[in-house]
Amino acid sequence: MALDTPQDTSPLAQLGNWFQGLGVVGRQGRLGRMLGKGRFTKDLYLPVLIPTILLVAYGLLVVWSASLAIEEASITRQAMGVVLGTLAAALIWRYDVRSLVDMQTALLIIDIVLMVMPRIPGLGVTAKGMTGWVRIPLIGLRFQPSELGKIVTIFLMASSVAQYNGRITRLKDYVKLCATLLVPFMLILVQPDLGTGLVLLVLGAAIIICGGAKRSWVLVTIALLVLGVALIVYTSTVDGLPHILKSYQLKRLAVFIDPSVDPTGDGYNLQQAKIAVGSGGLIGKGIGNATQAGEGFLPEAHTDFVFALLSEEFGFVGAVLLLALFAWLIFATLSFAIRVESPFVKLVLVGMIAMWTFQILENVGMCIGIMPITGIPLPFISYGSSSMVTQLMCVGVIQSLWRHRKKSA
Amino acid sequence: MDDLLLPLLIGVIAIVALLLLAAWLSSHRGGRFSFDIGGQTPRASGGSDSSPERGFKSRLTGLGVFSASVFAVLLGKLWSMQLVSSDEYAKAAERNLTRTVTTDAPRGRILDTNGTELVSNRSSLTVVATADVANDDVEVRLLANLLGMPPIAVKRKIQDNSEGAQSAHTVATDVSQSTVAVLDEHSYLFPGVSVEERTQRSYPFDTMACQVLGYTGSVTQDLLDSQDTSKEDSITYSLGDTVGQAGIEYQYESVLQGVKGEQTVYVDANGNVTDYSTTIDPQSGSDVVLTIDANIQKGAEDGLAHAIQQAQSNGHSTCSRGAVVVLDATDGSVLAMASAPTYSPAMFIGGISNDDWTQLSSEGAGYPLMNRAIAGQYMSASTIKPVVAISALQNGIATSSSSYYCSGYWTGFGEAYGQYCWLHTGHGGMTLESGIVNSCDVVFYEIGKSFYYSDTPEGMQDTMRAFGLGSKTGVDLPSEGEGRVPDAEWKASYFSSSTEEERAWQGGDMTNLAIGQGDLLVTPLQMACVYMGIANRGTIWTPHLLKEIRSQSGSGSVVAYKPSVLHEVKEDDSYYDLVQEAVKGVIYEESASVAAHFTNLPVTVAGKTGTGEKTDQDDTSWFCAYAPYEEPKYVVAVVVEEGGFGAESALYAVRDVLGVIYDSPDDSTASTLTDSSR
Repeated sequence: MALDTPQDTSPLAQLGNWFQGLGVVGRQGRLGRMLGKGRFTKDLYLPVLIPTILLVAYGLLVVWSASLAIEEASITRQAMGVVLGTLAAALIWRYDVRSLVDMQTALLIIDIVLMVMPRIPGLGVTAKGMTGWVRIPLIGLRFQPSELGKIVTIFLMASSVAQYNGRITRLKDYVKLCATLLVPFMLILVQPDLGTGLVLLVLGAAIIICGGAKRSWVLVTIALLVLGVALIVYTSTVDGLPHILKSYQLKRLAVFIDPSVDPTGDGYNLQQAKIAVGSGGLIGKGIGNATQAGEGFLPEAHTDFVFALLSEEFGFVGAVLLLALFAWLIFATLSFAIRVESPFVKLVLVGMIAMWTFQILENVGMCIGIMPITGIPLPFISYGSSSMVTQLMCVGVIQSLWRHRKKSA
Repeated sequence: MDDLLLPLLIGVIAIVALLLLAAWLSSHRGGRFSFDIGGQTPRASGGSDSSPERGFKSRLTGLGVFSASVFAVLLGKLWSMQLVSSDEYAKAAERNLTRTVTTDAPRGRILDTNGTELVSNRSSLTVVATADVANDDVEVRLLANLLGMPPIAVKRKIQDNSEGAQSAHTVATDVSQSTVAVLDEHSYLFPGVSVEERTQRSYPFDTMACQVLGYTGSVTQDLLDSQDTSKEDSITYSLGDTVGQAGIEYQYESVLQGVKGEQTVYVDANGNVTDYSTTIDPQSGSDVVLTIDANIQKGAEDGLAHAIQQAQSNGHSTCSRGAVVVLDATDGSVLAMASAPTYSPAMFIGGISNDDWTQLSSEGAGYPLMNRAIAGQYMSASTIKPVVAISALQNGIATSSSSYYCSGYWTGFGEAYGQYCWLHTGHGGMTLESGIVNSCDVVFYEIGKSFYYSDTPEGMQDTMRAFGLGSKTGVDLPSEGEGRVPDAEWKASYFSSSTEEERAWQGGDMTNLAIGQGDLLVTPLQMACVYMGIANRGTIWTPHLLKEIRSQSGSGSVVAYKPSVLHEVKEDDSYYDLVQEAVKGVIYEESASVAAHFTNLPVTVAGKTGTGEKTDQDDTSWFCAYAPYEEPKYVVAVVVEEGGFGAESALYAVRDVLGVIYDSPDDSTASTLTDSSR
């Protein structure tokens, strides 16, 4: 094969090199080495890669079944997202992401650009009440930059916190870190996208806490946050004071507390989601037999409420399988984070663990009524290529960190 | 919305609590790491791996605990939803998917004793439309033009979901054949519109026996709220159902109401029918056969009208109201029950208009919805005298040989309390029997006085109660009145705001009661029962309208009514002899003009007139009678409000009823106007 020559500098040959790296073709791509203790496992962190592949396959299956009943859900588009995400992940894997450790300023700028992008006239697209998408010129694909912003924020926070090497002893530094986190958070809130904002807040907080922030500061910050949120909710409900929360967000909170307050809107959605999950039973109704999603009772069955669809079709067994795959992914990442020496790498991994944990908690939680309804996608499963690409890129990042774990930055 | 604050706080705390836990763990389990390292800020150069901070491990473990607890919480909730409560959710999902569309069952008919239909069903051509027609303005306008209705009314009818969203919506009932033809020919113009044959109540005799039969209407919210859905067999109503609301329609609602047909359909989230499932055909309600005889009923109503017209021609211009009850003395069957004025139950079909309802419930119209035969309460007047006589005999107040003298003015309680007999010129010498025949008030004043001073001062009331006065007869109709037998206890409580002296039971109360005036209140049905008791020598059957219930689908009678004795008034035969003799005398001896109206009947009649005196109003005219005298079969009680003397108007209704029964119309022209017998 012509691609066997790594010295070939033509673009085609470089692409070939990446594939070589992936172990798909070329000298290192032998199946035996892949499973053995060859170079392949040295470069790929299988405990994260395998659950990812299974999750993606599971997700495609669920989206395909959703596409049977929901016109909007296109399995081809979802597959395109997987392909794009895999390519992006492969790119990242080749690159040593540890070089981002000193690039806080650049990361901050990129983060800001990403969050502001949808606001640029001619580029931004408003859908579902928020200006959160941009249309990529030429391809015409809609993309949600805030999803990508999650990764950038992880790097931004990780690189900022890593400087203190696990001990943040000056209040000034702590405040600076919190302020840094507030930048993307506030920008995303005005889109308005409270869901993604909360993800950023949680992953940022996890990085700061794991990065060695003083316990007392953290406690005070949380207390202030709680007070602030209470104040925001309060002013939003009193006429004459600024209404920071949108009325639909207030209603979602109210519905979370008592679903019967809005039996036709969010309360209805929650009720239908719970019925979908509960009626799935032990083994579910089978692919294509989900009446809640199939007959249109369950709204957004392929996106926000995809877990309800999955539970209805595959039952408790299917739901547990999904959670098991997620747990595998998360704890494999955690085990890597514990073993790796670099604080920066640790904190990047911490950010991802926090992001996944929170997104799973929120997305699954809202389907079963233990979290308020917000539009957060279920990683690898929900329909939508922005999320899929982003999540696969995260996995690419982990693979890159694994591949370069021994080398010094 | 303030109540949101607390739960929100809890929610936020719950989310961050686990993060806190991680932080806390980091400080405790990472033994070597301490926060108070003091001023040193080891600023690592670009996150080099040279000086790893061991505190990381415990903090990461904390993060792992956080993640694990998230999974644990989710699993726990999923366990409870999908394994523990799965059945409930599955049922909810099933409920989402299916709707039951009902088809109405025809109500049972109401028949007279000979099987003549008093209330039946007729099919009515009904224009129905599916819900989406309302969105097509052009179609709505076309339909409105065709039906002669305003477009907005058509639209509103289609949007009305009271029959259920999946059912067709009724736009117009009783449309003409030509309208149906137009709809058929131009069906392409009217997608979603169709014509259905539905059943509606029909009243072949229009107003006849309207208060007995009652009417139907849409089920009320009160009934819907109060129904007990826990009982398996009971009918469950839903919005828009037709139910009986008065009379027999109400009394035998559970029998007349059929069982609705049910069609289970599968729907999607938008309510569109996606598939059909099981069908249960509707079961019609059972027929109710009444003891009412349409012939006698008609005779009673015509007779009542005759009596009212007679009263009016006698100068009682305000006379328009009255009641007739005809009972079978052998078993208590109600053969006819008339009440004037009447109304047309057909007004209630498809919902009565507000104007009509206001009219029907107005005083000016004479409250036509009221069944005066059971709910009208009047003073009995002299018709009570036979009962008083029996009571006097039984209590030893009088004997068949007691003699009285009537001078026209009675001063038994002293000059200051003098009372007139209705015949101011006086009846002269009287016995108990002739006292009834001539309705001599003085005889009964004496009896009243004797009771007042006797050992059994309430013996008269006891006898009245024994004959069923003061309590409901239990006839199978709603809203029966119970009347009133006044006594000392009643007077004291009724006039509780008056002085002790005014509330005390006086001799005058007793003499008033003895002639049926004052505070005594009876219903025409109660009086009919009293005369049944006199005719039967004590046996009063429970008056009833139900003869039997017939199933429409099966054959024959499902349930036949078994007559039962309501009261058995045990008295000495000689007492009944005397009273019966006396009431026969009322007809044939007291006045020639009265007798003239009865002599041509093939049977002997016994009866008693009555004239209720009310201040500021014309007298209430009473007549109670039974026939044949020798073997009593029919009891007739008539009251005519503001009809004058008993013989003046009520007599004509009694005579007309007997005329119909014995096919022997009244041919006498003798005027009873001068016969002012009370």
